[in-house]
Amino acid sequence: MPHVHLCLLLLRPHQPLLNSQRNINLFPVWTPTSTAPVHLRPKLLINSITCMAKPRRVKMVAKQIQRELSDMLLTDKMLQYAVLPVAALGADRYLSSLTTISDVEVSADLQVVKVYVSVFGDDRGKEVAIAGLKSKAKYVRSELGRRMKLRLSPEIRFIEDESLERGSRVIAILARIKASKDNVLDEDDEFSESSDSPQDDRDWEGDDPDDIIYVK
Amino acid sequence: MAKPLPKIGSRRNGRIGSRKNSRKIPKGVIHVQASFNNTIVTVTDVRGRVISWSSAGTCGFRGTRRGTPFAAQTAAGNAIRTVVDQGMQRAEVMIKGPGLGRDAALRAIRRSSILLSFVRDVTPMPHNGCRPPKKRRV
Repeated sequence: MPHVHLCLLLLRPHQPLLNSQRNINLFPVWTPTSTAPVHLRPKLLINSITCMAKPRRVKMVAKQIQRELSDMLLTDKMLQYAVLPVAALGADRYLSSLTTISDVEVSADLQVVKVYVSVFGDDRGKEVAIAGLKSKAKYVRSELGRRMKLRLSPEIRFIEDESLERGSRVIAILARIKASKDNVLDEDDEFSESSDSPQDDRDWEGDDPDDIIYVK
Repeated sequence: MAKPLPKIGSRRNGRIGSRKNSRKIPKGVIHVQASFNNTIVTVTDVRGRVISWSSAGTCGFRGTRRGTPFAAQTAAGNAIRTVVDQGMQRAEVMIKGPGLGRDAALRAIRRSSILLSFVRDVTPMPHNGCRPPKKRRV
């Protein structure tokens, strides 16, 4: 008996509300000797049904959203002004900071989209860019709904992404270690440098603007 | 496509072209073309004549790994290495296209010994010209 109930629920995934009404009416007929547990179990099942897209489609939607958002950052005047208000529009595109969309994560039901944004530039430019994007979240949502054919346009959240910067720092440290390994063949020096690298990370955050000479 | 260089019969122009290995250019332009699947880094002089280039594909990455920021970093590193030995100190960077290579290549250039003078975005923007390809259906 419970198997048949499950089949009924699966047959109509798009109308969970109607389903619940019908099934509640049906239960007394189908299971006259039912006890409380049988009533409770299907209700939990009904409440947990939502429309989930297949994972491949989720990935495709994420990739498409990334393309559309990058295109919007390049072409849309309002977004560009929000990200870089420093009269970039009048100054022949000499930029002080560069915004890139590094990753897009879409939830399984295609309702929530997390956009990871990476900004190249100084701290103030980074804050300005992220604040500008966050203030334009609703505008971006409506633009995305206009450009893409989705049933419901998703809620967009902008998150700052440090991973590119961290990655480039790690690669620079590794290159520095490699260079010093070539110069100095002593193993003790190597170990002491690799243990110093976490401290170097913290030092480098202050040194970044002047950091030209370390890596060759 | 290439800017027409004056083909006067002056020996100086011809000589420089053939002696390009020993040309010392203190200031140059680095073009970064960052598409979603690949990143191409080209180093030219101020007039636009190419000195060296490198891309994520020529650095040994194939397929989906060409579009990653790490590949862009190695491509930028490769392209700059040949030029730094020739003595380039300052460079202007021109970035074209969306893609992860923009950020990653810039960071790689910044961490090398080349001074960035300007960063410009030269993505080609039509004033409503050719019809773009059809929308991808998702």
